Amino acid sequence: MTGETYLSANEVGKTYGDVTALSDVSLDVPADAVTGLIGPNGSGKTTLLRVLLGLERPTGGTVEYHGPDAVRRLGYLPQRPTFRPGFSVRETIGFYADLVDDDPDRLLERVGLADVADRPVDGLSGGMTRLLGIAQALAGDPPVVVLDEPASGLDPAMSELIFDVVASIADEGRAVALSSHELSLVERTADRLAVLESGAVVTVDTPEALRERTGGPLHETFTSLLDRDDAVVTAAEVGDA
Amino acid sequence: MSHAGRFWTVFVRELRAAVRTRAYLGLLAVLAAALFGVARAGGGPAGGYVPTVVDLLVVVEVLVPTVAFAVGYRAIADPADRGELDVLETYPLPSWAYVGGVYAGRSAVLLALVGLPLAALGVHVATTAGPETTVFASHRGVDSPLLYLRFLALTLWYALIALSLAFVLSALAGSRGRALVLALAGLLVVTVGGDVAVFAGLDGGLVTSETLGGALAMTPAGAYRGLVFDQVLYVAVPGRSAFVSGAVAVGSLLFWWVGSLVATELVTDAR
Repeated sequence: MTGETYLSANEVGKTYGDVTALSDVSLDVPADAVTGLIGPNGSGKTTLLRVLLGLERPTGGTVEYHGPDAVRRLGYLPQRPTFRPGFSVRETIGFYADLVDDDPDRLLERVGLADVADRPVDGLSGGMTRLLGIAQALAGDPPVVVLDEPASGLDPAMSELIFDVVASIADEGRAVALSSHELSLVERTADRLAVLESGAVVTVDTPEALRERTGGPLHETFTSLLDRDDAVVTAAEVGDA
Repeated sequence: MSHAGRFWTVFVRELRAAVRTRAYLGLLAVLAAALFGVARAGGGPAGGYVPTVVDLLVVVEVLVPTVAFAVGYRAIADPADRGELDVLETYPLPSWAYVGGVYAGRSAVLLALVGLPLAALGVHVATTAGPETTVFASHRGVDSPLLYLRFLALTLWYALIALSLAFVLSALAGSRGRALVLALAGLLVVTVGGDVAVFAGLDGGLVTSETLGGALAMTPAGAYRGLVFDQVLYVAVPGRSAFVSGAVAVGSLLFWWVGSLVATELVTDAR
């Protein structure tokens, strides 16, 4: 189920000196849906998310927000969320909630961290830190939520929990854009998938439609869509851009 | 919530963090020991407030920026390193409210670190100085606690200026490693670099004996020293006048203070 477009990238380009991180990328991020970005390391997923967020200025093209008015339009979970040490979970989320007049307890309950509210934030596991990051991304009830590798480095059970939370965020009517290498979880959660390679969008389609291209699992379609040699060269040139 | 409210939220978080940072207590103890040690070694407290200021001035010129840089050198670099600044960009938090809140919070810490030992030293002088030390300096040559209060006020202002310089370097650094290197370099420039540059200019003919006072007042340390001489030491010494213009020194300190904070805001905003 996808709604109206809340965020759109129109022919976006991004270069760092001689290195092209994004080239002529157009992508819509609709409401009530999860839009997944998949692609090899260095394909431009994180750069595209940062451009969508306004954290990186594109060298070409535009990014437009079409969603409803909100005190905070875009929520963001960075790839490795790190919080200021010395504070409890509740104090940490309380800081972000205060900035947008939100209720910190509601945010903690939303991601299942209410029971560890008094725990020091630097004593959280990787998965709990990621959940706290998602709670932070939801502060102020932003219509668009952008998640960069929300489950990277987590055990399978925690990854599954994170993706369940992500799916429920979209079910509340938000537009969710995420990048991930967890193909099975992305396939299960995303309503649309954009495959990136060398800074360009190779294709955008539903997971079902992509699977039908090869008749096998998504990773086979993914592999068949990419020029692997080129992907490796790109990854070496731009790192994990 | 208004932007002023968001400024307050950032300020309160800084204060909470400071209260929980036990290292600040150690810094306070070391600074107090150093200031009392220097003053007692010089015999200033027994002589009065002005002799105490004479004992302290050179040490304070170095110690206060050092403490200010210790308090502020990671103020912007740390959240940049953690990715917190990127996250905060998605909030309706203007960079002036963020930088201002962090600066206000760390200023409160710094004012306590510098002000408490100096105030305690003032009390110590009051209890040990001779009878010629009076409350009001009615004419030149008379010692007074009001002169010490002037010294305290100027020193606290100097501390805030050094903190703002640490902030702009922290914003430029963008990472903890670079922040440390830039802070050490900045500290050297603030404590000795300015004077060295002026005297190099004097040696090279760029600065003359007529313009020496003005040149010294251009640096934060020189301006602070000049104001202490003008407003504290020479008040108690008949027949002496300041070696820098008070107005130029105040203008210079305002420039470094406001300029550094504006630069910090611009650098943070442009990230």
